[in-house]
Amino acid sequence: MLSRIAESMFWIGRYVERAEGTARLLQTHLRLIIEDTSAHEVTACRNLLAVMSVDHVEDPNLTDLLRILGYGAAEPTSIYFAYAEARDNARRAREVIPLDLWECVNATWHQLPTAPFGTSGAHVFLNWARERSAMFAGIARGIMVRDDGWQFMSMGRSLEQVDVTSRMVASASLAHGSTQWPAVLRGCGGHDAFLRTYRGLFTDREAAEFLVMDARFPRSIMHGLISAADSLQRVAQSNALTARHAELALRSLGQLRARLEYADLDDLLANLNHEMSVVQDVMAQVTIAVSTSYFAAEEPRAWTTEGTR
Amino acid sequence: MADVLSNYRTGDAFDEMMDEVGSVRPSYKAVYSALSRWTSDDLRLIAESLANNYTQAGVTFDVDGVEQPFPLDLVPRVIASPEWEIIEAGVAQRVRTLEAFLSDIYSDARVIADGVLPSQLVTSSTHFQRAVWGIQPGNGVRIHVAGVDLIRNPAGDVRVLEDNVRVPSGVSYVMTNRNAMITIMPEAFANQRIRPVAGYPTRLLTALRKAAPPGVDEPSVVVLTPGVYNSAYFEHTLLARTMGVELVEGRDLECRRGKVFMRTTAGLQRVDVIYRRVDDDFLDPVHFRSDSMLGVPGLVNAVRTGGVTLANAIGNGVADDKLIYTYVPDLIRYYLREEPILPNVDTWRLEDDDAREEVLDRLEDLVVKPVDGSGGKGIVIGPRATNAELDALRRRVTEDPRGWIAQPVVQLSTVPTLIEDCLQPRHVDLRPFAVNNGEGVWVLPGGLTRVALPEGELVVNSSQGGGSKDTWVLSPPPHRSSSNRGSIQHHDNGSDHAKSQTDVPLIVARPPVTVMPKFAETQRQQEGQQQQASYRSRGC
Repeated sequence: MLSRIAESMFWIGRYVERAEGTARLLQTHLRLIIEDTSAHEVTACRNLLAVMSVDHVEDPNLTDLLRILGYGAAEPTSIYFAYAEARDNARRAREVIPLDLWECVNATWHQLPTAPFGTSGAHVFLNWARERSAMFAGIARGIMVRDDGWQFMSMGRSLEQVDVTSRMVASASLAHGSTQWPAVLRGCGGHDAFLRTYRGLFTDREAAEFLVMDARFPRSIMHGLISAADSLQRVAQSNALTARHAELALRSLGQLRARLEYADLDDLLANLNHEMSVVQDVMAQVTIAVSTSYFAAEEPRAWTTEGTR
Repeated sequence: MADVLSNYRTGDAFDEMMDEVGSVRPSYKAVYSALSRWTSDDLRLIAESLANNYTQAGVTFDVDGVEQPFPLDLVPRVIASPEWEIIEAGVAQRVRTLEAFLSDIYSDARVIADGVLPSQLVTSSTHFQRAVWGIQPGNGVRIHVAGVDLIRNPAGDVRVLEDNVRVPSGVSYVMTNRNAMITIMPEAFANQRIRPVAGYPTRLLTALRKAAPPGVDEPSVVVLTPGVYNSAYFEHTLLARTMGVELVEGRDLECRRGKVFMRTTAGLQRVDVIYRRVDDDFLDPVHFRSDSMLGVPGLVNAVRTGGVTLANAIGNGVADDKLIYTYVPDLIRYYLREEPILPNVDTWRLEDDDAREEVLDRLEDLVVKPVDGSGGKGIVIGPRATNAELDALRRRVTEDPRGWIAQPVVQLSTVPTLIEDCLQPRHVDLRPFAVNNGEGVWVLPGGLTRVALPEGELVVNSSQGGGSKDTWVLSPPPHRSSSNRGSIQHHDNGSDHAKSQTDVPLIVARPPVTVMPKFAETQRQQEGQQQQASYRSRGC
């Protein structure tokens, strides 16, 4: 597959997943901020933005939050931006994407909000954003051939899902005192499954264990790590010539997996923020390794020599 | 009487649907009867759904980097079978002639030695590329795809307006328009046989494969696009997708020792045939514009050494130069020893002193076009130009008479077109597409009908905000089909509607559909009874 197309597929996967993850995170915390009248709005917004690696806004309020993570076309962290980028990449990879999938991405882009909205409009928008991502994933799963294009897209999706869940987990420790784990579990759509798994008796410890280590839950970090490694391996098998470069990415994923699998849960909870930054760092490293192995153009050749030959 | 057609008044131009006494032409009977059942509300709904479909599917045309939906009008342009046979033969004749011409002037130029063309005419063409002189393509084809623009004058005669043998665009809309029309006018399709257009990608792919360098058995074909911001990017993706080949940009390709490769996740892979949609000037920074970001360094050398085939070939632009165009009837007689089937539009060559004087005298009555322009750029329509524009034009023509031609203003024929909520006559042209695979020239039945939406507007070009229409070529009556159309029809999947009706086998005896076993009815009743005390009123 063309390197440029592979790169587009990878980023389509990432951006669509990012849109969903951001929608879940935002929805969860909007609710918490609005419900919890004792919380200081600016502090809550600043903390949440920090979790999303946004630090360029002073004293952010709810309006800023909705713009930066929701409708802001110029904000690289917004859902708007993610869907616009997904569509741009889909347009570049138009000839390898099934028609239905393209129409899904294109229609999503056409329906993106053209005007700012407040907290009351946010709910409709965030539900819509999640639905579009679910529709995308459903169409892709239903009709895409499992070739390299699919693998690169899945890889992007898995890496992004790990990244977003790690931010979601980190966000659970934001508020002092009242626990936010149930809300976070609900935001990930895993609250009921979690209750069934632990028979309703749980502490923060179990909640963290579920979201980080339970590979059976598809939004857990462990699930994402395993499926990213799986996609990487398959791509390496079908592109034997370039595969040696991908070893670095596989190694990073494996090391992180071991680190989390054998972590002491109490330590993990005590250093939640730090551990989750480690997860995010590894996702960034893996992305770089995949990019240099499969996407990067070769060294630019001196065309003068090619021309005179 | 048809609601939406009650105010349909044809003008001086030839109308494709109504004849001069106001009766419907035979070819339009089915369309007319479909139209007469519609109210203006129907028209509006259909037009909206067409527009939404196209927006959703991303059928767009980029104007200055902004995607615009390419408006499809809901009334088709219909061409009767006998007339199409003439157009088909005429278009093929021009393509064969221009092939012979290109092959000649890029080798020993007999046409000049024999005095048919003045030599400076060829060498002064901006699209004559010395870099490809002497190159003979593998199967002799330089014009793999051609688009020949036709118009119909008020007398009803079809004439050639210009040839496009560089990178003619628009064929994708022919295919998408047809798909859209089948959904909105099914009864018109059911009542007559319209020749299908879906065979185009297969024809093109076959022609491209046959053009592969000698010795390549399983050629790797790619489509080369300037990129996502090109006005025809939608078309490039559609062609790549329907041919099942890669769509590459210049940066995906690399030349090594006279061969071309694409960068893939599995390393470099050989490319044999490039259907390029990039202009000559941008193809290779070594030979052409050194600032080109779209091209591939070394591509011309790869073509020279036979490492890769470009379709269409480099240097074709000399054949669709508008001054060369004025000589095409002579070229047809010279190369093919045939009489031209489709005449040109009358044209003044402005290098001729008498002609120039006459033209400059009555500039306000004429259309003046730059010889190397395309996309309607630079055209001045005398009757609509201001005095200042005419003065500027007069100066430019005097400075560079080689650069311009003049033609009388032709009232193009009209077709009913939805304007606001009623149908009005609007001017159209027609671009049939021809594919040359080296063994014969195939002309896609129909082509792109472009329509100028403003009233009285005569420039019909998609880059000038025009719309398009589906073009229906009616099949000849069944008893003629076998004798007249020859072997080509075998490849036209779906063209033989009549045959298919009897060929479909009847399906019999299938096992029943499996469903999930359900609890017995008594259990359901018992389950229900458990809550009867509190939910008595809900019933079953």
